[in-house]
Amino acid sequence: MTPNVAAISGIGSVSPYGPLAGLIPPCRLEPESITAWTTAGLRRAFLVKPFRPAGVVPGLKTRRLDRLAAWALVASSLAIQDAGIDLRQLDRSRVAVVFGTGLGCAELTEAFFQSAAANGWRGTDPSPFPEGLANAPASHVALWHGLRGPNITVGSKGFAGETALIQAASLLRHGQADLAIVLAGDTLTRSVYEWYEAAGLLSPACYNSEPLPEGGGFVPSEGVAALVLEPAGRREARGYAQFRSGQWAAGGRASAGREVETIRQMLDGSVPSVTICAGNGAPCAPSSVTALAREIGGPGAAIVPAQAVAAGLTDAGAPLHLILALSSRPRKGPALLLGTSGDGGFAALLLELP
Amino acid sequence: MISGRLPPVSHLRINDLRISDRRINDPGKTIVVTGVGVVSPYGVGLECLQEGVLSGRCCLAPTTDVYPGFEGTTAQVCGLPHPENGAASRYSRSDRLAMVAARDAVANLNCESVAFRESGAGVFMASTVAGLSEIDPGIVEDPAAWYRQGGLLRAATYPAAHVADAVGEHLGIHGPRCAVSAACASSAMAIALAANMLLDGAAPMMLAGGSDALCPFTLSGFSSLQALAPDPCRPFDQNRKGLNLGEGAAVLVLETLAGAAERNADVLAVLRGWAMTNDAFHTTAPQQQGNGLADCMRVAMEMAEVSGDEIGYVNAHGTGTPLNDIAEASAYETVFRGRSRPVPVSSTKSYFGHCLGAAGALEAAITITAVRCGALLPTLRLTDPIESPGVNWLRGEVRRESLPLAMSVSAGFGGSNTALIFGSGRGCS
Repeated sequence: MTPNVAAISGIGSVSPYGPLAGLIPPCRLEPESITAWTTAGLRRAFLVKPFRPAGVVPGLKTRRLDRLAAWALVASSLAIQDAGIDLRQLDRSRVAVVFGTGLGCAELTEAFFQSAAANGWRGTDPSPFPEGLANAPASHVALWHGLRGPNITVGSKGFAGETALIQAASLLRHGQADLAIVLAGDTLTRSVYEWYEAAGLLSPACYNSEPLPEGGGFVPSEGVAALVLEPAGRREARGYAQFRSGQWAAGGRASAGREVETIRQMLDGSVPSVTICAGNGAPCAPSSVTALAREIGGPGAAIVPAQAVAAGLTDAGAPLHLILALSSRPRKGPALLLGTSGDGGFAALLLELP
Repeated sequence: MISGRLPPVSHLRINDLRISDRRINDPGKTIVVTGVGVVSPYGVGLECLQEGVLSGRCCLAPTTDVYPGFEGTTAQVCGLPHPENGAASRYSRSDRLAMVAARDAVANLNCESVAFRESGAGVFMASTVAGLSEIDPGIVEDPAAWYRQGGLLRAATYPAAHVADAVGEHLGIHGPRCAVSAACASSAMAIALAANMLLDGAAPMMLAGGSDALCPFTLSGFSSLQALAPDPCRPFDQNRKGLNLGEGAAVLVLETLAGAAERNADVLAVLRGWAMTNDAFHTTAPQQQGNGLADCMRVAMEMAEVSGDEIGYVNAHGTGTPLNDIAEASAYETVFRGRSRPVPVSSTKSYFGHCLGAAGALEAAITITAVRCGALLPTLRLTDPIESPGVNWLRGEVRRESLPLAMSVSAGFGGSNTALIFGSGRGCS
């Protein structure tokens, strides 16, 4: 467990709601038709509408970058702006970047494969190769903001977003950074979408214009959410929430069911006033996470259900789940951000909501 | 520059191990290595790697079979066992390398026991290739058709996290699993982050390392960047022409000294310090003065509470590319300025190439070997070293001397740097 040291003092996001600093104004989104590639009939997803990054963050040059890197640059800039932090006043060798992603820069990875398909492996285009590396978004965030602290890109089946938050808090706790920009996100590409489809993971809502049904698959999404994490106590810091501790474990245990015991240990006797469910794309996740939330919080527990837009981000959805939950003005007090992988794996982050 | 003498050290004898370490006063905060598993072009096991590098044997060889038209030099792992029937398509070559290395790392544990499986041990693995080795350009022409023709399971191995899952599933352990991507610094970073997790109490034991397979994607990528040397690489030589790619995996078993003592484990080395920084300079080129790397080494030395004089050997990143080696040499000049004698440095990429996401962990394994055996390994083919008066570029024969502390340094695209400092454990028999 990572004990509490950190406050979430800034929020930024590039999501199907658009590029935004701070909380996301409540509004119901429906999936959109995919037009970026030819599909066999109607196919829908939660998509980030094209926008000009330099229109949001003046001076940004993103032409050669994967969209994931461009969105990370925009989301991090919006979060830093929201936190009211002037990075020039900080020792930037003490500012970390921690990025959680399931698939990394899928777009430029595909572009590199495309150049191999067109020209053979001997004739590949060099430009997508380094920009397609999974750590390229975090590197660009460091480069743009001049951040010379630890620069970490993590992935974890089902829990990349939660893991990024836990690792960032750990860096602060161990004095390895004074401030961390935590990001999580993924992009949708044709081969990613068609993989979900071939694997039978998609919701019926991907194939028709009906409103979202409960359960039964997910609607893929894309975007990047960014949080500024700093040691609690800066007087002028905006306090969206305090990160107190986090724990996660893989699924498939012979003794599945221990997650309740482990989470209760982490809660140390306190009962969460609200549990924020972080669906991770697995079809059974929404029900399993809600059941786990009820078991921990008791029958009267307030539960913020998993939001379809964030659940569609699969592994990297947790920070967007959190932002959406905070935007709905949940109860004050201890809150649990809870995700399950459907096979007994879980991630639990204990927060304090002011 | 870290300077000043240490106060007298205390000694504590645990399981045939003498550790000189002031932090030994808190065994719960001292991170030790109790297992090392390796798959390298020398074969499976730390002993193979140790015997290979100590004998100065180079595994780099002309290669033409990775894709049509490729002519170059690589180091490959031969005879990697295939998974049991039916499981082959579930695992990429990087997965399989990692699984074999992890099994080797826990060979001295009773890993079939319920106690081990229920211990909550975690996995922190790195890979830059992961399942890319299983995907071909056909995927982009018609993904759905490619998946129907058997690609679905192969594509599922694409995320780096799959390597960590493969290791966890293979060993039947279910603690936290995570993958880290920091290009060529990845697996050194996995070790650093796993150490943090142990200090956090997130798991009682962490398996940390990296794995990467040779594949057309990376060979073509580095070739398109004109970063590959046609012949065996010559790190830190004035006439270096680039890097060679290799493949392999290494996994360290990390735990707190308290945990190791409780189960009466052999301690192979102490992870005295670790640090991570970023150049924030360029996506592919290192900052020419090596400032980010120098900062990284300094922070690791501060954590270990050691001076530059106490670092007996540095296992360098040393890729053999023109830019990397100059930046790295500058970093050593900066960090070790004022040392009483030049710092001994070598690059073991000259033995089996650059294993990308596995490089940091493999080099950590070699650094542990160096401190355990008191062996300073030379860089192969280093005839005309870069001028750097503060550095003793090791070449020629293996040098034997007592080596209480050694550092392993890694850097990668995107400006990431990691430094790990290992302290000596039991002597090599």
